[in-house]
Amino acid sequence: MEEPEEIRIGVFVCHCGLNIAGVVDVEEVTEYAKTLPGVVHAEHNPYTCSEPGQKAIKEAIKKYRLNRVVVASCSPRMHEPTFRQVIQEAGLNPYLLEMANIREHCSWCHSHEPREATEKAKDLVRMAVAKARHLRPLKPIEVPVTNRALVIGGGIAGISAALNLAEMGYKVYLVDRYESIGGHMAQLDKTFPTLDCSICIEGPLMVDVARHPNIELITYAEVKEVEGYVGNFKVKVEKKPRYVDESKCTGCGECRDACPIEVPNDWDMFLGVRKAIDVPFDQAVPLVYRIDRDHCIECYKCVEACGPREAIDFSQQPEELTLEVGAIIVATGYDIYLPYDDPRYGYGKYDNVITALEMERLHVAAGPTKGVIRRASDGKVPKSVAFIQCVGSRDVTRFPYCSGICCMYSIKNAVLLKEKHPETEVYILYTDMRTNYKGYEEFYNRAKELGIKFIRIDLEKRQILEDPKTKNLIIRAETEEGKTIELEVEMVVLASAMVPKAGTKDLARVLGLSVGPNGFFMEAHPKLRPIETLVDGIFIAGCCQGPKDIQFSVAQGAAAAVKAAEILSKKALEIEPLVAAVDEVRCRGCGRCEEVCEFGAIKVLEENGRLVARVNEALCKGCGACSVRCPTGAIKVRNFGPEQIRAQAIAAIRR
Amino acid sequence: MPMRIWKTDTPERLVIERRLHVHKHKLELDRTKCVGCELCSLICPREAITVKVPEKNGSEGPRKPVIDVDEEKCQFCGICNCICPFGAIKVLKDGQPIIPVAESESFPRLLREVVVDVSKCPPGCKECEDACPLGLIKVSVVGPDGRELSLEEAKAYPRPEELKVNVEIDLDGCPGCRLCELKCPEGAIRAVKVIHGSIRINTDLCPEGCKDCVDVCPVPGTLTVGPDGKVVVNEVTCVYCGVCRLVCPVEEAIELTRTYIRHEPIKSGAWNKALEKLTSTVHLTRELVAKSMERGQEVVEKRLGWIIARSGS
Repeated sequence: MEEPEEIRIGVFVCHCGLNIAGVVDVEEVTEYAKTLPGVVHAEHNPYTCSEPGQKAIKEAIKKYRLNRVVVASCSPRMHEPTFRQVIQEAGLNPYLLEMANIREHCSWCHSHEPREATEKAKDLVRMAVAKARHLRPLKPIEVPVTNRALVIGGGIAGISAALNLAEMGYKVYLVDRYESIGGHMAQLDKTFPTLDCSICIEGPLMVDVARHPNIELITYAEVKEVEGYVGNFKVKVEKKPRYVDESKCTGCGECRDACPIEVPNDWDMFLGVRKAIDVPFDQAVPLVYRIDRDHCIECYKCVEACGPREAIDFSQQPEELTLEVGAIIVATGYDIYLPYDDPRYGYGKYDNVITALEMERLHVAAGPTKGVIRRASDGKVPKSVAFIQCVGSRDVTRFPYCSGICCMYSIKNAVLLKEKHPETEVYILYTDMRTNYKGYEEFYNRAKELGIKFIRIDLEKRQILEDPKTKNLIIRAETEEGKTIELEVEMVVLASAMVPKAGTKDLARVLGLSVGPNGFFMEAHPKLRPIETLVDGIFIAGCCQGPKDIQFSVAQGAAAAVKAAEILSKKALEIEPLVAAVDEVRCRGCGRCEEVCEFGAIKVLEENGRLVARVNEALCKGCGACSVRCPTGAIKVRNFGPEQIRAQAIAAIRR
Repeated sequence: MPMRIWKTDTPERLVIERRLHVHKHKLELDRTKCVGCELCSLICPREAITVKVPEKNGSEGPRKPVIDVDEEKCQFCGICNCICPFGAIKVLKDGQPIIPVAESESFPRLLREVVVDVSKCPPGCKECEDACPLGLIKVSVVGPDGRELSLEEAKAYPRPEELKVNVEIDLDGCPGCRLCELKCPEGAIRAVKVIHGSIRINTDLCPEGCKDCVDVCPVPGTLTVGPDGKVVVNEVTCVYCGVCRLVCPVEEAIELTRTYIRHEPIKSGAWNKALEKLTSTVHLTRELVAKSMERGQEVVEKRLGWIIARSGS
């Protein structure tokens, strides 16, 4: 090991206002730092990250000819990039910085033990100094960028992301698992609080997506495999056969009229039927029919109806596409909870208990009842309807979170119902009414003025029973004061929870993303990095991250587009060099590092007649698992190798 | 209301009902009419229908095969309704007997033909009614005053030429066994088989004393046990349903081939597929060739019609 220069370390202790200085004796820590080997200067500042604090570091570097810098302040997640920038500006290699986290690890967690906190801060500073002695200058790694993007999921969030990126001039692949883009929003009747017709405002965007020269729409397809890293992803997509040629289908629908087979309609939440050759809805994009081969009897009446257009092709096979993209936006949305497993509600047992999304389909003019609200038991318009809130949501045994949108959609459905059938009695049985955001509270007041009755009931004590003769429903619930109320209505609508989309976990595995305790994708930081994930170059938008309503999904889609463009706009990306490096002389090519690497970053290759491990630096996360496994010590993480860690560990135990 | 499916199974009937919020689909199998042949199960596009032949234990009673329908698979298309020679299966949509595949001409209804020349019927005769093994024929006699007469009254009626004989036939369940035609003393009935074919029994292969086929045959007299204890076939009345082959414990003891099924003219891949399963590839090809000849002739007539017309005149 060559050590050409004398080690000259400067230590900068931060007060962070009173965040640190209120507990830790910063002066004592600074004085202590001065006694450590290699330290030629130590000082403390009120806010090291502030302009004067940064200036102090730069000046000290010049004045004391510092060649290593230790900052004792907050978490490196917070300000490591800031201080790296500072020392680089003063002429040092940015990787000659070490941080000691004396805020999160000392003052915040030991706020009632200032003495011990100060001692611990001294320990951490000593360790940081010990490690700093062994830091080496590093160069960031440059990787080229493919300036195309993939958006997974064509709901409103995915549409928003795709359109924004396409408008910025980037090529976008929009992949949707379903036959049409549009997502849940296309299933809704009206949107709150303005009562805009949902498909009327989403439809034009869907058409824009189809028409945009920069967007390639890949529907009825699934993402199977993702390889690569930020700027350079390789994605395998399987396109399921529609048995209808997309380039020849004109969307006329004559095949549908000829088809004899009726299948329960998934788009209508199975309230009605659709044909075995069909589109889910008339505004579908792309407007290409699909044959449900599970149900098709192959009578070829559709072929006859299609005639000279010859769009129907029973020989179609699944098609695998490989897309090369620089960034991925995940916008896979949500599912609605169907409360079959909750006996209190009688869903699936009583005819006249439906979920809100089913109500939505009853409201839609193109829906199974042509927009008339009818009971299933007798086909009559109900004279009284009760909406029950928090079904599944805020239930610790099911979905402990608040789904956020149910209060508003129930009010909306109630208002629509009252407007269609003013004579119908409408009740909303709620536990807490949550009407934050613009225009929502006003909409709630409008509902009250329309005569909708709001009754507050307990979150748990509720039970629905059916009158077997009339098929009416009797709701027994307890009010806040513990009084039991009983209400007979002709129809019950359950405001059921938004739950993670089926297949979220599988997709998380394919993409290497993490899933939170509630099953939604995890963001990198709940407040400051809500769009990013812990995988560089993969972003999340819309309800796949957690329940939210349309406007926030649109905003997140746009935000994700910006975050993706941040990558796509660069010719090359700089990646942290704190990754594994192989000492080729020591490596025997045993492949144990390859086995333990979670990220597929290591491959053992044959070079010049011998096996040697190679690290894909862009994929490596610097976790060090390979380093631990290596029998010869040939693979090490730069600046986190045995040399540095050992020095730090020894400093930890030797005062 | 989310989708719900019910299944009720009794010895008399099997009912499958699928209820959606706005539609009810129903399939009814009348077990009293079902003979347990395998036709429906052979051609169900969803493979929802299975036939179970009861185990042979001892020698008690006929082993009539039992049909079961998988309620999860059935899509109420009505192909089984179309093909059942005995009219045992009905599909209904919202309470109406609508056969979706027949409505769209995706699958043909069977052509059943029993023609009665009532002018030949002597009042009081009900040989045909007695002969029908499925109880599908009802003979009635109406007097000049419009009153219905009993058969004895009719026989004794002094002026038989004033009486009007009605022969009502429930064609939906008639496989065309021709027993009525054969039994009619006056030659007034002409019945046509729905399914044509051939049947042969290799009696050498028959196990000692087995008459399972005879027990399950829906048309009496078609299969009988001869004086030598061997099974004898009377092909005149065989309807080629194939239930005999299904229950036969020995493979290849009964050779049954169907060659032709009388059906409404139709162009449908589903029917071709069914035909291939019910008859054989050879017979399917024959039907397809006949169809394309017909079509060719149509085209020629359309294109060259004016020449034919001119040369004819």
